[in-house]
Order: sequence, then C-alpha cells, then structure tokens
Amino acid sequence: MTSRLKPLFSLPRATFRAGAFLVATLTAFGAGMQSAYALPSFARQTGQDCAACHVGAYGPQLTPYGVRFKIGGYTDTDGKPDKLAVSAMMVAAVTHTGKEQADPPTAHTHRNNNVTIDEASLFLAGRLADNVGAFVQATYDGVEQSSALDHADVRVVHSMEVAGKDTVFGISANNNPGVQDPFNTMPVWGFPYTGPAVGFGGGDATTLINGGLEHRVMGASAYAFWDNSLYAELGTYRSLSPSVQSRTGQGRADDMGRLGGGTSYWRLAWMQDWKKQAFTAGLFGLSASIQPDRLSSGPTNKYRDVGVDASYQFLGTRKHIGTIYTSYIRERQTRGDLFANGDADKLKGNLNEFRINASYYYDQTWGVSMGRFATRGNRDATLYGDGYANGSPDTSGTVLQADWTPLGKEDSWGAPWANLRLGLQYTMFDKFNGARRNYDGSGRDAKDNNTLFLFAWTSF
Amino acid sequence: MKTTRLKIIAAVGWICILSLTCGALPARAGGKVQNGEDVFAQECAECHSVREGKNKKGPSLFAVLNRKAASIKDFSYSDSLAQSGLVWSEAALDAYIANPRKSVPGGKMKYDGLSDASGRADLIAYLASLK
Repeated sequence: MTSRLKPLFSLPRATFRAGAFLVATLTAFGAGMQSAYALPSFARQTGQDCAACHVGAYGPQLTPYGVRFKIGGYTDTDGKPDKLAVSAMMVAAVTHTGKEQADPPTAHTHRNNNVTIDEASLFLAGRLADNVGAFVQATYDGVEQSSALDHADVRVVHSMEVAGKDTVFGISANNNPGVQDPFNTMPVWGFPYTGPAVGFGGGDATTLINGGLEHRVMGASAYAFWDNSLYAELGTYRSLSPSVQSRTGQGRADDMGRLGGGTSYWRLAWMQDWKKQAFTAGLFGLSASIQPDRLSSGPTNKYRDVGVDASYQFLGTRKHIGTIYTSYIRERQTRGDLFANGDADKLKGNLNEFRINASYYYDQTWGVSMGRFATRGNRDATLYGDGYANGSPDTSGTVLQADWTPLGKEDSWGAPWANLRLGLQYTMFDKFNGARRNYDGSGRDAKDNNTLFLFAWTSF
Repeated sequence: MKTTRLKIIAAVGWICILSLTCGALPARAGGKVQNGEDVFAQECAECHSVREGKNKKGPSLFAVLNRKAASIKDFSYSDSLAQSGLVWSEAALDAYIANPRKSVPGGKMKYDGLSDASGRADLIAYLASLK
C-alpha cells in the first residue's frame, strides 16, 4: 500500500517542519495498515503451494520455508524454464467506523461505510537470474485514485559453506527499512497483514521504523544467513530527491526532508526450525537524522529506534497451525529542528511501540487472529497538539480477525495461478491519540474510531 | 489335567498377544503407515506431493518404493542423483532420508535429514503404501 497520510486528522502543526516530522514519524492510517502479499508467481516459479511459504496459505505470514525463500533472494526454483516473474493483486473492502468521520477520508470516499478498491498491484516478483531476484510492486490506490511505486526489494545472493554449514550471503536494495525482513515481527510485515485504508488501524504517532521512511528512501543492506539459523544484516539509506519522489508517484508535498549520511539499519536474529515447530528471536534497529528543509547545515531531528522481537509457530502436520509474534520498539527522539522552530516543547523524548498477536489456522484455510498494540510516549503539548489530548501520543487497542482462504493448497482450484482470502477484521481502541474520550477536543472518543473491515483479497 | 489347562491358557494368551501385535503391525517392518503420513506432512509435504504426476519443488513420491532414482521424465534432477544409479529400495530410502548429502553428494535436495530411525521407518512404510 502506498503511503497516505491519514486524511481525517490535520497535522498536529500546520507547518512544513511538523509535516516533515509527521511523515517521518506518523504511519499512514495508523500502525495497522499493511499491504500483504501472497504471490502466485513465486508458487509457479518453485512448484510449491502458497501454503508451503505462508501460514494459512496466504501471505505475507511466512513459514520457515518461506523465510528461507525470501532470504534466498526469491531465486529458488523447481528448475523448469520459462517462468514469468509477474503477479497481480487486488484488495476490495467495505469499511465501517464506530462513528462517521468529521470529513471524508479522501475526495473520493464518504464519511463512513465506504466500499473501496483499496489497492490493485502489479508485481515483478521472482527469479530474474540465477542469483538475482526481485519483489517490486506498483500499486494503484483506489482510495486516492493514484498510482505509485510501492515496496521494492531487489536482491543478489550467493550461497556457500562456512564452517561446514550452508550460508547465504545477500545484498538487498530496497525502498523501505524493514521491507527486506523475513520474520513478520517488524512493522512492515507485521499483523494485521492488511488493514483499513479508510478506517483506523492505529494512532497517529508511530516510530520511524514503522513506515516513517516508506518509499521515500533508497538503501542497501548486506546480510548473511548461517546454517538456516543465524541472521545478521547491516545497511544504510539515502532520501530520494523530491523530483524522484514525484516520478515514483509519492509526490513532493509530503517530502520528509533529507536523511543524514549516517543512517543505519541493522538486524540480528536466530531462527530454529524443528519442522513441527519453529521460533525466532532477534534485535533490530534504525538510526537516522532528518533535515526537513534539506539544508546542509540546519538543525536535524534524530531518531534512534531499537527493537526486540520473538515469534513461535506450531506447525505440526499443518492441519492445526498456531503462531504468536511480539515486538517492542523503543525510539529516542532528539528533535533539534522541531525544537528550534517551536514545533516541540521538549528537545528530547521517547516513543515506544509494543505489539503481540496470535493466530490459529485450521487446515490451512480457516483462521482466527487476535492482536494487541500499544504506543506510549512522553508528553509534549506542542508536538502532540491538534488532534491529541493531554499532549500525549498514547494509543492502544485490539485487533480481531477471522478469515477464509479456500485456495492456495496443493489440490486447490486455480493453483498455482490464483489465490483468495476473505476476511473480517475489527479494530477496537482503548485509547486514541492520548485519551479514551474526547481526544480531539471535538467530542470524538477512541471507540468512535473502532473499525470494521470486510475484505476480499485476491492474487494471480 | 491342570497342566493341560495351563498350556491351553498360555497358548490362547500367546495367540491373543500375537493377534494384537499383528493387528498393530505396520505395513512395512518396523514402520507404521499412519505415523508415516504425519511424518510426511511434517517433513516432506512442503516440497513433495504423493499424487501421481504431481511434481512440486521435489518430484512426486507416488509409488517411489523400488523406483529408479531420477526416473520421472518431466522433473529436473541434479546430475548427481541422475548418475547415482540408485533404486529406491527401503534401505536406499532410509539412507537418503537420514542424510541426503551423504547419500547423494552434490544432490540438490535442501533437507538436513531425519535422524529419528523410527520416524524414517514410519515414513517409508507410508511411502510404500502409495501405489
């Protein structure tokens, strides 16, 4: 899904700097909105079922096999020639919020009860050469009625033995820190795997690694995966120029500014795959400074995100699959530019995000999931002004989902050419932008943002 | 008389035990088909189908027992396996499943092997039942 600032809410401060801060720190439509991917081009390339790589036979929730496929640079194949690395995907939805929104979310939608084509995507996804693979997505956003380059991840990989163990070395060139991660615990690929485009998936304040740089940067990271267990990665990013952002469909208006040269992304993880069950545990981080005016010597806003994550999957015979994922991100902000320009009361502050979710799938077809999310941060009456209560960025809530994935298995109709998931998702807020009640000063309560999201999600 | 009765009881007991044992006997010596189906689902099904003619990343394992290795025509095997001369006897399957890289050096099956001997026996019993 392409980035889109939540149209319901005005920016906390109607200034360019605060706008840049938001682009850097606020997620598009909250933390819950994700794109999700189960690509039949991968199935055609490998000869596998969608269920081999994905829990519940639909992406992006990866099994250990899927983790290895992604780390292997999308290059694994059944050896047969003439595979076309092209897929398509569409998400259609009906979205209802607890109370109608003050204004229509976009120019093409209503204040409530929207029926939308949330996204229609084309992918270049799969093996391009023996050691080169890609996952590049172009998306038509049916809500904004615009198109843009979405997630892009192009990899070069090489396998060899190190200390007698299989080791994959790879380089990923991508446009979103975390899009290259294979473990479904970081925000880019975390639960919920799709979310409401015209409803609410989370509060306005999010960490930088939670979509703050999405699609407005380009970076490269080098990684290694040793003995199917130890994963290590280090990379850096540069901001795209406004003209490039314009050409890729992101637009210039929400340019976040210029990233400093020391931007770093890192990841350490351990995966244990016992076939019947698997677990992962890891650490990750993103450090960046942003100069909103793109000045070479102006003050910057600095973000240092550090996260810890873990997951467990019971896979068994794949008849009954249970999963649990969790992550905690701690962000330290040094708001040099915001503070200097009066857009923040405090120079320093923290913003923390916690997530935990569990799912159960029966027969790779019927699924129920539940997740909790909580964002907590230091108060700042100016930074978290308009649209927030008490100068607080705090938001918390619960996501419930039930879904049905009739395709994607070995004997499914249309395999490996088509897949489908129908789902019903409900997001409930305990607190939104700092308060349970009247968080925006206009009488809107957190529960008014509770969002019912009925979706049909198909891929070819 | 008493001795005879005891002998009869003992014989009936042995018959019962044997009957029970025979009832639980696997299709293959040492392996249980039902357990083997579970082992297949856990260890093999991501890459192999048991449907005839259905190749995934790995070849179909339908009627694999006593099949010549690398003999499915529309599947792309490694040169190592194609030139191995193996026939998938129970012993060959057992050795291959235990340690594919040792059994067929240079093969392309990305599987570390199943160290559990009883699990292998169950799996082979299940594969043997597919024909």
